[in-house]
Amino acid sequence: MVRITGRTALLLILPFLAGCLAGKPAPTDPPLPPALENAGEENPEEGDLPDDLLLELEEEMETVHIADPIEPLNRGIFWVNDKLYFYLFKPVAKALRVIPEPARKSVGKAFDNIGAPVRVANCVLQAKMECATTELGRFVLNSTVGLGGLFDPARGEGLEPHDEDFGQTLGVYGLGQGFYLVLPVLGPSSLRDGIGKGVDGFGDPLRYLLGTGEAIGAKVAERENWLSLDKDSYESIKKEALDPYLTIRNGYVQRREGQVGK
Amino acid sequence: MKMRHAIPFFLLLILAAAPVTAAPPAPVDQIRQTVDAVIALLKNKGMDRQERREQLSALVRARFDFEVMSQWALGKNWRSASPQERSRFISLFSDLLEETYVGRIEDYTDEAVVYLGEKRDGERAEVETQVLSGNTDIPIRYKVRLKGEEWFVYDVVIEEVSLVRNFRSSYDEIIRKEGMGGLLKKMEEKILELRNSKGGEKG
Repeated sequence: MVRITGRTALLLILPFLAGCLAGKPAPTDPPLPPALENAGEENPEEGDLPDDLLLELEEEMETVHIADPIEPLNRGIFWVNDKLYFYLFKPVAKALRVIPEPARKSVGKAFDNIGAPVRVANCVLQAKMECATTELGRFVLNSTVGLGGLFDPARGEGLEPHDEDFGQTLGVYGLGQGFYLVLPVLGPSSLRDGIGKGVDGFGDPLRYLLGTGEAIGAKVAERENWLSLDKDSYESIKKEALDPYLTIRNGYVQRREGQVGK
Repeated sequence: MKMRHAIPFFLLLILAAAPVTAAPPAPVDQIRQTVDAVIALLKNKGMDRQERREQLSALVRARFDFEVMSQWALGKNWRSASPQERSRFISLFSDLLEETYVGRIEDYTDEAVVYLGEKRDGERAEVETQVLSGNTDIPIRYKVRLKGEEWFVYDVVIEEVSLVRNFRSSYDEIIRKEGMGGLLKKMEEKILELRNSKGGEKG
């Protein structure tokens, strides 16, 4: 589900972001209520872990928090996005499924290929040279031999894709997420990643090759194509989670943190 | 004539192999066993739904350390929970986790799972797998812990997202707002809802 946002860089979000920037600053999480330290200790259960393992795992299992000062607004947009998904985007994606899957996969690859210059730039900004040369190599090879990115011969040559964007670049330089942001249509994001998306949007070749309207159309097409290949993962998460908003928020933060750490 | 020689030879082989099998098995092999069996069950569309459900459950429960996972899913709140709350939580959480894990595998698995290898660190290990799915290859990492002769899963990390940490973060917030009782009630309702909707398979 976190992938739902994909790499969709959009200009749409800029006015919205500006509004958020002017909003109140992100407060830190309220402190947790003090645990009743001794409550369980008199009667240790069979299943309790040995203390040393507990300590060892404590760090590993620490939750990552993100401030969510505009939670009511975020939940509202989440609700709207949910409706948009079920009544608009998903039906269109389902209709697309009449197109044979290999064709849709190829289209997905071509969209991915168009994003390569932005990825190369971000690799360079993060001083990851192996990443930059690999992505550049992929772009050149797949655009030519791979017929405009419809095929991925580069992978056969050992050039594995890297996923980099400006949000991650900012993260690498130590900028935190700021606070959580649910973007209309685009879904989960954060102050940092929302700005990152806006910046990446300026590097999007489609923006210069096509008019603004057509570029947005292309983004919608990319998104619908991706959804047609997705196996209803959003539906499952929504069905299984006690509170899908919380599940997706934490999933987003963990995933972004993992990507920045790579 | 030849058989006469062959039988002692086999016996010798078995004897020679015996000390080797005494060492704990590789984590990746044990994960492979479970995951492959889960996928085989999910692909067997002709099977009776109730029976499949039971077999899946048995497979997952034999490999997952639900007690440890429950402790981590509650974090700080584990310490303040009463023994009754703890055992209630373990039982509910096991059900939910099983649903979630099987659901994820069902969603993502098109063709195959690739076992990329393992990293061992004493009593703990991580097994890297990759699920080949429609859009991309999805990395799934199993964190396992050695107990006796068996490796037990204590966390599953899908695309950098740890399931246990994800639960923990949500549950923490729910407990903060509605207390432990509220969380347990929500979990009960969710399990009922999932059980009832299992009648219709999604298309």
